[in-house]
Amino acid sequence: MTTYILRRLIQVVPTMLGIFTVLFILAYLMPSDPLRAVLGEQYRRLPPEVVEGIREELGLNDSFGERYVTFLGQMARGDLGRSYILEQDVADIIAYRFPRTLQLMAGGLFVALIIGIPAGIIAAEKQYTWIDHALMVLSLLGVSIPIFWLALLAQLTLTQSRYGIALFPVAGYEDGNLSHLILPALVLGTNLSATLARVTRSAMLEVRGQDFIVTAHAKGLARRVVLLRHQLRNALIPIITIVGLDIGYLLGGSVVTETIFNWPGLGRAVVPAIERRDTPVIIGILVFGAFLFVIINLITDLVYALVNPRIRYQ
Amino acid sequence: MIAATTSRPAVIDLSEIRISNRRRFWRAFRRNRVALLGLILVILICLSAIFADVLAPYDPIEPHYTARLQAPSAEFPLGSDELGRDLLSRLLYGARISLVIGFVAQSVAITTGIIIGMISGWYGGLIDDLLMRIADVFFAIPGLMFLIVWVTIFDPNPVSIFLALGLISWPSNARMMRSQVLHLKELDYVLAARSLGASTPRILIQHILPNAIAPMIVLASLGVAGVILSESILSFLGLGIQIPTPSWGTMVNSSRGYITTAWWYGVFPGLIIMLTVLGFNFLGDGLRDALQPNQYNK
Repeated sequence: MTTYILRRLIQVVPTMLGIFTVLFILAYLMPSDPLRAVLGEQYRRLPPEVVEGIREELGLNDSFGERYVTFLGQMARGDLGRSYILEQDVADIIAYRFPRTLQLMAGGLFVALIIGIPAGIIAAEKQYTWIDHALMVLSLLGVSIPIFWLALLAQLTLTQSRYGIALFPVAGYEDGNLSHLILPALVLGTNLSATLARVTRSAMLEVRGQDFIVTAHAKGLARRVVLLRHQLRNALIPIITIVGLDIGYLLGGSVVTETIFNWPGLGRAVVPAIERRDTPVIIGILVFGAFLFVIINLITDLVYALVNPRIRYQ
Repeated sequence: MIAATTSRPAVIDLSEIRISNRRRFWRAFRRNRVALLGLILVILICLSAIFADVLAPYDPIEPHYTARLQAPSAEFPLGSDELGRDLLSRLLYGARISLVIGFVAQSVAITTGIIIGMISGWYGGLIDDLLMRIADVFFAIPGLMFLIVWVTIFDPNPVSIFLALGLISWPSNARMMRSQVLHLKELDYVLAARSLGASTPRILIQHILPNAIAPMIVLASLGVAGVILSESILSFLGLGIQIPTPSWGTMVNSSRGYITTAWWYGVFPGLIIMLTVLGFNFLGDGLRDALQPNQYNK
């Protein structure tokens, strides 16, 4: 087990290095002149020596190689740099905003699980009946809906009385007020719930053909017990894998959802940062997102190894 | 037909087998009503893109200030926008952008995926490790955010968007291709080809590729759906292709200010995006059922 953990941990290093490299190249290419971004109109009135001095100080005149090494050093220390415009450390911005995005992601995941898994189980149990077909068509519908449009429809019909009923607030965030979370979470979770329904269905069908299920039935166990204790439990691995891989989707989806619902999370920070060419903020959020993805998938793998000894000895 | 086959019993006509395979595929595909619906949707959208200038009742760009935000009527079947432009006409022209981006970007992604997956699976070892780690890197970076940064650097012109969408969607194609190659290269007929002295490119292209193509076709069809969706999100965020011709995502974006006064403005463009994406997803799903019945529904 220790060897497996070590091997898996070592694998993270080249992946993170690759991520840093790709993101550094993006940062290097960003058409961003922080001075112009900060100073706006005043920029043109500054004497060239002053501009040159600040550029030198920020390290913008260094060569590609020098800047790459500096960047890697910063990343290794966990230093994400400082926003050009907000006069804040990027790490502080993330620390303030990420918990809010996490609420949204958790809400979305909750919606996805609570719709997707039962739908998948029912479809598998009723394989090839009209219920199965209807659920699978619905799930394709679910992956095909553009989430920004779903958000708009939700706002149109559920937040105001002109074309619908005013059940929920249109947008915004309030600490500890769940009613603000419901619509964004529903919107963010829809695509994922459809994916999960399909994965759950095929995993359940795969397990159903195996001998131990037949044995469990032959023993005379109640159908529900076999279904939940034997079948679902063994179908969980592909389901959890998909959830792990979709962390990136949830984070990306939060850009759209947070923008529409005015939710003060990480995603909401991306678009303004892009508009202001605030490179450190953008790259910091991307590094953080990729890191989150790698860590969550690392944890999933380790949990599997813990649960299923076969994986350890591969 | 029977007479024809009995007259030359010893020789197996390969072309006939191929046709019967195709027929078998067609039969499976036709039985699947959802897949047929997908095909019809895709064909309809393609036709409306091709014949947009014939079908559109109005010019999609020129404003008509006297007919602003008209509700759907005989004059404007799907209503008009804040500059009095006919939504139906704009949607028809918008199909061109979405489809071109969907097809081209997905071709980039699927070709890259096939080539890298083939090299990775065939050679194995260090090359395989390296390529798969690169795939991991692109998997880990949140795709949408990568896209946003990319268009800031390279401007949201069509070519840069093809490249960016291709770049974020090749890893899953490469993985699928790689696993196909890993399986196929152990089979006897590949071994036979090798022992006959066939060159590596010949084995890969003549022997491996045709047998690995089915799942790739499925991935390509589903991928077009994904790419169209990604492009619409980009346009919705105001970062898509900047041309006067309307893009569906851009239309939903500009409708946001009129959500309480003109429901049709945001609803119809989104509906069209959904129908298009749904068409490709239905199609891909039906292709999967027809091309690899045993791999699905196990």
